[in-house]
Amino acid sequence: MSDHSFAARTRRYEFPNGLTLLVLENHANPTVSVSGYLRAGAYFNPNDKDGLSSLTASMLNKGTARRAKLEIAESLESAGARLSTGSNTFTVSIGGQSLSRDLGLIIKTLGEELREPAFPADELEKLKQRVIAGIKEDQDETRVRAYERLTQLIFLQDNPFYRKPADHLISRIESISVENLREFYGRYYGPGSMILTIVGDVDAENVRGLLEEVFGDWQGAPARQFDLTETPLQVEAKVDVVQMRDKANCDIVIGHASRLRRSNPDFLAARIANSALGQSTLSSRLGLKVRDEMGLTYGINSSFPESGIGDGPFTIAVTVAPQNIDQTIKTTMEIVSDYLTNGIREDELRDEKSSHTGAFKVGLATNAGMASQIASAELLGLGVQYLDEFPSQIASMTKEQVDAAIRKYLHPEVATTVIAGTINQ
Amino acid sequence: MAFTHITEYDGITEYKLDSNNLKVLLVPRDAAPVVAFMVVYRVGSRNEAVGHTGSTHLLEHMLFKGTPTYNKKNGTQIAAILQKQGAVFNADTWFDRTRYYEMLPNDQLELAIHLEADRMRNSFIADEDRQSEMTVVRNELERGENDPGRILDERLWALAFREHPYHHPTIGWRSDVEGVPTTRLKEFYDTYYHPNNATAIMVGDFKHEAALDLIAKHFGPIPSSPNVIPPTYTVEPPQEGEIRFVLRRAGQLGIVEMAWHIPQATHPDSGALTLLDTILSTGITSRLYQALIETELAVDVGAQAYQFIDPGLFTLDLTLRPGVAHQEAERVALEVIEKFKTEEVPEKELQKAKNMIITQMIYLRDSPFGVVSALGEAEGVADWKLYVDLPKMVEKVTSADIKRVANTYFTQDNRTVGYFIPKEESSNE
Repeated sequence: MSDHSFAARTRRYEFPNGLTLLVLENHANPTVSVSGYLRAGAYFNPNDKDGLSSLTASMLNKGTARRAKLEIAESLESAGARLSTGSNTFTVSIGGQSLSRDLGLIIKTLGEELREPAFPADELEKLKQRVIAGIKEDQDETRVRAYERLTQLIFLQDNPFYRKPADHLISRIESISVENLREFYGRYYGPGSMILTIVGDVDAENVRGLLEEVFGDWQGAPARQFDLTETPLQVEAKVDVVQMRDKANCDIVIGHASRLRRSNPDFLAARIANSALGQSTLSSRLGLKVRDEMGLTYGINSSFPESGIGDGPFTIAVTVAPQNIDQTIKTTMEIVSDYLTNGIREDELRDEKSSHTGAFKVGLATNAGMASQIASAELLGLGVQYLDEFPSQIASMTKEQVDAAIRKYLHPEVATTVIAGTINQ
Repeated sequence: MAFTHITEYDGITEYKLDSNNLKVLLVPRDAAPVVAFMVVYRVGSRNEAVGHTGSTHLLEHMLFKGTPTYNKKNGTQIAAILQKQGAVFNADTWFDRTRYYEMLPNDQLELAIHLEADRMRNSFIADEDRQSEMTVVRNELERGENDPGRILDERLWALAFREHPYHHPTIGWRSDVEGVPTTRLKEFYDTYYHPNNATAIMVGDFKHEAALDLIAKHFGPIPSSPNVIPPTYTVEPPQEGEIRFVLRRAGQLGIVEMAWHIPQATHPDSGALTLLDTILSTGITSRLYQALIETELAVDVGAQAYQFIDPGLFTLDLTLRPGVAHQEAERVALEVIEKFKTEEVPEKELQKAKNMIITQMIYLRDSPFGVVSALGEAEGVADWKLYVDLPKMVEKVTSADIKRVANTYFTQDNRTVGYFIPKEESSNE
């Protein structure tokens, strides 16, 4: 381990109450970035309370036992500091940025919000109405509608990646009360599952002291575990259309259950398998043919959009004018089929390796980039050393490994195709 | 030496490449082993007219289609070769400027410099490429047309600007995008893509002398333009009366957008207008948030001072909560605006807005791309010092200035107001 490695430069502290703190000093600029997680995401929503985890996380800054929403906002905004909490499929994520001299302000505010939220009823009502309007607005987007329908066709309703229909979601959100929030908060919010990464112009020991002061005596809920089963692969191909009005452009999403999680041993092979196929609309196989050569689309990409703690889908997403739908789907399927038959080319593999290594370096060029990578490595159980090991893991990848991942994770023969837009059937 | 040292200011060094007057900015920053490189051309949709609207943008796409050195047949396609290095790269076009950029590991700096120098004059701009790329751009345009807010905004600019080319959107009018001949694009390329109409900006971990040598090596041999870069001269006359319009199509939430003409970026009132945009719409404590979101009239609000080479617009947009009348939201937003004319902004509120703008600039310095981007935008409208001096410009604005500026520009005769009204689904559909 060299002195310049992330593992050597990052200080990791585990507090007796379970909170994990990671600090990386970077004195290049007088700023600091904060990134973190708590295991209190949508996965834990009770059956009839979709949206509860999201409302709970969004209510944290709407008032505490000590201060009203406006007072909290005033103190942060006056310093130009930012702090936010939001719910994802599995976690609540924490993000913040301030001048390094204001780190105390954001950590103390975060402590107040996480430990003493007031959940004022009038603020909940306002938030619910705003969230509902946001859902309605999203329903106007072809991309959202196509992806939503895809998840409804390939996952069962109790799957964490199934997107509930908008009407259903809105009625559930309307039913959520302050009591529901308090109960959810009481069951899932605590230091046991909390990870906080702080990167910037700070002193690691001082940060540890600050966290001790703010969170040291927090008990809260015990850390919860995820109990995930693998989503089965579909057994037949399907096609569906989401009819919308006044849309010049259609969104097509083709996909199936991926069965790929970060903990799968061949995760990086699958990532390379995907990127040669469709990570970049300008230079991957799909983009080179469908966009660059045929001019059918402005954007075509393939991805494992949710693969991390859980699996989620594998998807190919493309936008086209309605008259180009058939040709686009046909060409896309031919490219995938050829890729399955012949695998990745040696030159593609070489280019993908240098691309991944270079992009990793570029992504770590900012405090925010480092904080988010370190927090995510900790959350996924990879550890900070992952940031140091990543280049050699990529470099050692072989064509056999990538080809095996292509065969294991790409299944066009059972893919579901959804088209959203104004379509003459 | 091949360069003339022009100035050094706030850690940024400006040079001129003697052989062709390329402007060069170097900003060393060794926090991470990466470098961001950008070439900004002083050409945008402002330089277009009817028949070839959207040409600057279409041309920008064509600059990814290759040169004799970098092309698909050679196995050196531009996007592929950058992707291979893990670069973050792209290009975009706006009213006043077109920019091309890459952020990549610093051992690949020469690739970025060589590529940008090469495509400045050697791009193919082939008719066959235009045909396939035109439909890519048309799909980009169609994607934009899916969004009612974007269409409303496009119409608002088209009405507020009757004579000046800010009238048309950068992506162009659909039939112009479809019909423009390749020769017209080539003419654009030959008119504007020259070193004396560009600025090369480098931010990151590089050696100063070595970086200059690379720029001299690759850009040095390119001659400056054979002709003077043609100036534009169209001036938008005063508006002389409020303009109102309605857009009806399928959609979910109503939108109100309004705009007032404001002066060019280099005008002394720009600092006050930037602060007004922050006071109105940045954060929960902002005035529009308090007046419209807290009161449950709107679900989203925004304010933006668009400051360009020529006079631009100050816009407000309000996304309405279902059931709220457009007139009601407009009335409340105008009350917020009128208040600036009669009451001075309290000192504490003004200071908060100043802090927000200044800390935002410090955050930007975390990222080489953030810095290169901010300098590039300033170069696009005037000069990079405009960006560096923003804190000073903002710092000296007083509450009295804000009041005067609000009274000067936020007048009814200078205003354009558009409503997007979602069309109800008809029963026979």
